[in-house]
Amino acid sequence: MSGRKKTNWNKTMFKQYFLLVLPGLVIFTIGLIVPMLMAVRYSLTSWDGMTKEKPFVGFENYLSLFQDSDFLNAWWFTLKFTIGNTIIQNILALLFAVALDKGIKAQKLYRTAFFVPCLISSVIVGFVWLRMFSNVLPAINEALGTNINFLLFGDGDTVLSGLLIANNWQWIGYWMLIYLAGLQSIPAELYEAARVDGAGAIRRFINVTIPMLAPAITICIVGITTGSLKVYDLLVASTKGGPGRASTSIIYQTYTTAINGRQYGYGSAMSVTLVIVLLLVALIQVKELKSREVQA
Amino acid sequence: MAFTRRKEKDESPKQPYTKSTFVVQIIMTILAALFLAPIFIVINYSFKTKKELYLNSPLSLPESFNFDNYKKAFDKLNMVTTFSNTLLYTVISVLILALLCGLTAWAIARCKHKFFKFCYIYFIVGILIPYQALFLPIYIIGFNLKLTNTGYGIIFMYIATTISFGVFLMTSFMSTVPLELEEAARIDGCSIIRTYFSVVFPLLKPAMATLIIMQSFQIWNDYLLASLYVSKKQLKTLTVAIQSLFSAQTSDYTTAMAAIVISVLPIAILFISLQKYFIKGMTVGAVKG
Repeated sequence: MSGRKKTNWNKTMFKQYFLLVLPGLVIFTIGLIVPMLMAVRYSLTSWDGMTKEKPFVGFENYLSLFQDSDFLNAWWFTLKFTIGNTIIQNILALLFAVALDKGIKAQKLYRTAFFVPCLISSVIVGFVWLRMFSNVLPAINEALGTNINFLLFGDGDTVLSGLLIANNWQWIGYWMLIYLAGLQSIPAELYEAARVDGAGAIRRFINVTIPMLAPAITICIVGITTGSLKVYDLLVASTKGGPGRASTSIIYQTYTTAINGRQYGYGSAMSVTLVIVLLLVALIQVKELKSREVQA
Repeated sequence: MAFTRRKEKDESPKQPYTKSTFVVQIIMTILAALFLAPIFIVINYSFKTKKELYLNSPLSLPESFNFDNYKKAFDKLNMVTTFSNTLLYTVISVLILALLCGLTAWAIARCKHKFFKFCYIYFIVGILIPYQALFLPIYIIGFNLKLTNTGYGIIFMYIATTISFGVFLMTSFMSTVPLELEEAARIDGCSIIRTYFSVVFPLLKPAMATLIIMQSFQIWNDYLLASLYVSKKQLKTLTVAIQSLFSAQTSDYTTAMAAIVISVLPIAILFISLQKYFIKGMTVGAVKG
């Protein structure tokens, strides 16, 4: 009897808790999971977005992707942009954080100065750097009589470095804050102990700071990589994917293909490749970095 | 989040202000100046007249503070409408988000049933699915459900795309809520909903603040979803309006610069006054605890 009562009670509890979860679950499913499944389904069709029926073509879209030079170029740009960001942003953010943690005066003021750019929408950041490179910085040449090429967005060879500068300017402060929080949580006793054991500054950094920062490093690497793979807003008001197609990212390419070219099926196949790459990258990085955290 | 920060007070005795600290201070000052330079240039431009833009050096200061560009930007951006739209979308989205995430995370943390474990994983997977990559089906589903070109449609999508992070954040805070209080409330005959609002919710306030502030920034600055979902003039957001201003005014960009200042100012003020909560949310999981 009491057993049955308990299951009944559990059932009513379950129902009540279930009702709490339900609205979020429904919104999340309709807004993100269903679109994900739709993308997979459309990617197997040659739908143009207008007709009622969506002709099934199997994996044809995926096969043509590998022969599509625009698509491969877009991936190539996205990869270069991602690798560049992951390396530069991580190193600089960590260096900045270490410098700010050295006990300099007015630390908070510096923190805010580096952080402010990330509060600005990427669309605006792109526009600001477009003006910086084309109008403001060339004036320095005039003033100093030097001849540095600042027109980075104007040439296919330099557009990547221009975008890296803009993106790093925007995000270094953000990741720096995460590293700073990590640094400030390292107990001072650990450094003391290392010093007693005769470790120099560099050894202390490698053997104490880096292992203790492992969780922060994981977050920063995964965050920067996945964030850079999704670059789109930054390009909208700066390079528009140009010059030529030199700075067309994978999302930008999908946008042009699907919305402007009205190839919904083909564009969906592009989206699916990006989702797969992002999931894989995130999973591999988390697994790889987490295993290091445990060892440390 | 169980970590103790080193107090800023006892930082100085451990780290005496030496010569090398001074060198670091100088380097960081130069870097900070470089980081702030583009912002000063934007502000500088926003006060320049058209004549000054064409004749003077970009680095020169404006002859006087004239607010003509601001007036023009105000009109061109349709500022009253776009600003209140953005504010409305952001505020409503984050409030609903906070409510839903709190309830969901609480149910997940308290109910040991398999279903809720599944829910947690289901939501967490969402963090890894980039909505930016799925803009096309997100647009199509919105179009089919008649959500495009409506205020509630864009709010719905903002909630759907940010809820997974919110559930993750709130669930990780839920362990700090003591069970005893809840049990006492239940014994007194409180319903689940009442227990949540009278006992749990007040304790979640700091976490809620963190969630609300972090997501406000993301939603306020969003461009992709807003540009997909709203094309009607009276529904546009600031970032969308500012982007059309950028492409319309290629030669006279002093107005655009003034528009940037107006659109960034509210968010910058909000951050500087609420940085504590923002940093807390950013660093969840970054610190060994």
